[in-house]
Amino acid sequence: MQTPVTIPVPVLRLPRGPDGFSRGFAPDGRRAPLRPEVPEIQECPIAQESLESQEQRARAALRERYLRSLLAMVGHQVSFTLHEGVRVAAHFGATDLDVANFYVSQLQTPIGVQAEALLRCSDIISYTFKP
Amino acid sequence: MAMRQTPLTCSGHTRPVVDLAFSGITPYGYFLISACKGAGQHLPRLSGQHYGKPMLRQGDTGDWIGTFLGHKGAVWGATLNKDATKAATAAADFTAKVWDAVSGDELMTLAHKHIVKTVDFTQDSNYLLTGGQDKLLRIYDLNKPEAEPKEISGHTSGIKKALWCSEDKQILSADDKTVRLWDHATMTEVKSLNFNMSVSSMEYIPEGEILVITYGRSIAFHSAVSLDPIKSFEAPATINSASLHPEKEFLVAGGEDFKLYKYDYNSGEELESYKGHFGPIHCVRFSPDGELYASGSEDGTLRLWQTVVGKTYGLWKCVLPEEDSGELAKPKIGFPETTEEELEEIASENSDCIYPSAPDVKA
Repeated sequence: MQTPVTIPVPVLRLPRGPDGFSRGFAPDGRRAPLRPEVPEIQECPIAQESLESQEQRARAALRERYLRSLLAMVGHQVSFTLHEGVRVAAHFGATDLDVANFYVSQLQTPIGVQAEALLRCSDIISYTFKP
Repeated sequence: MAMRQTPLTCSGHTRPVVDLAFSGITPYGYFLISACKGAGQHLPRLSGQHYGKPMLRQGDTGDWIGTFLGHKGAVWGATLNKDATKAATAAADFTAKVWDAVSGDELMTLAHKHIVKTVDFTQDSNYLLTGGQDKLLRIYDLNKPEAEPKEISGHTSGIKKALWCSEDKQILSADDKTVRLWDHATMTEVKSLNFNMSVSSMEYIPEGEILVITYGRSIAFHSAVSLDPIKSFEAPATINSASLHPEKEFLVAGGEDFKLYKYDYNSGEELESYKGHFGPIHCVRFSPDGELYASGSEDGTLRLWQTVVGKTYGLWKCVLPEEDSGELAKPKIGFPETTEEELEEIASENSDCIYPSAPDVKA
């Protein structure tokens, strides 16, 4: 019997290693909000805190909130407003890495229900859902 | 077309990886801490001082988060608390240290009288259990770090592993030839098991109260409550560490022949085995969701392996070939194409091979 031809499981990339110059634990890292000692940005007493790092912190918090909103949408009914006043509803599955496409199922379109579909982000004006 | 396992090598340690532990599942995913024996190379200005550098990584990808700096000797044991907010390490510098796992800062240094080998947090992270070459179990109240720890004596050789069990009401500890069960409240021994061969590792599974013990070529399962034997399997080589899948379908084990073995827990059938490490495997653990297992080896690497080969998870991306096509299909969603040649390169880069190591998959 022939040995079956196998292909190696593809990987997106290799695990990231140490950066070689620091001990890591990025100060504004993803888990920083968990720590109760971290003060609110407005109350921060550190005089040297630059506007830039405040802005970066705010951006990071907003980004994280957005990503969590995507996670919360999984499996829920979402209604999308597309161009030219078209509205469709579907079950949200996932987005790709750049949030350029929305993978949905049971897409209700004016011409019927599509079992699986990809909505291009550029075609979406807004979307809404109830958690 | 069948898929073959692509292990992911986590770089950073260059010295033998002797212990690893996962956290529980937190809102930020789960995390992995690893301990190594000697000088790491990633901070060249500190080379010349030979000490172990425990590292924290994101559990599902192996991405490095940070290195805990402070120990002045080989780090023999490392653990995380359930929500990965604290880490603890046990070292040859006669101390155990508690760390803030979010900032990487050292919180406490707990002085001992000899090499410390093992550390374990209670579920509520209020207490730390330590054990080592001085043959004493110590319980530290982490809310009162200045207070003297409670000590439990009885072991007649150095303690290799100590774990809380039965909702922290009992303690399991292993030395060279015995495994002992202690009552936390009374600090007395409840039961003990004797072995003819050196006990190499111990793992506690709270759901089902199962204890996994390895010694010689045996992988044994006991009740953590009564220490009564449940079952045991023999491996082809001396086993240093084994781990039971959270759903108790599989177990993985690794040891002196450098190979990782995966068994069906119910039947004992060997399902898969992998070459890839080029040194003995010291520790192996399943992730808390059971989707992957991590192995640490004398060769200085930590590797992640998929439980279900070919499943999309973490950095592994399943790409299904199109029907009637001999080639690997291009991914339909727009992420960078990976040709088969590039995949082979990634796989071989991962293996760090001096000699070819085609993994054996026995389906």
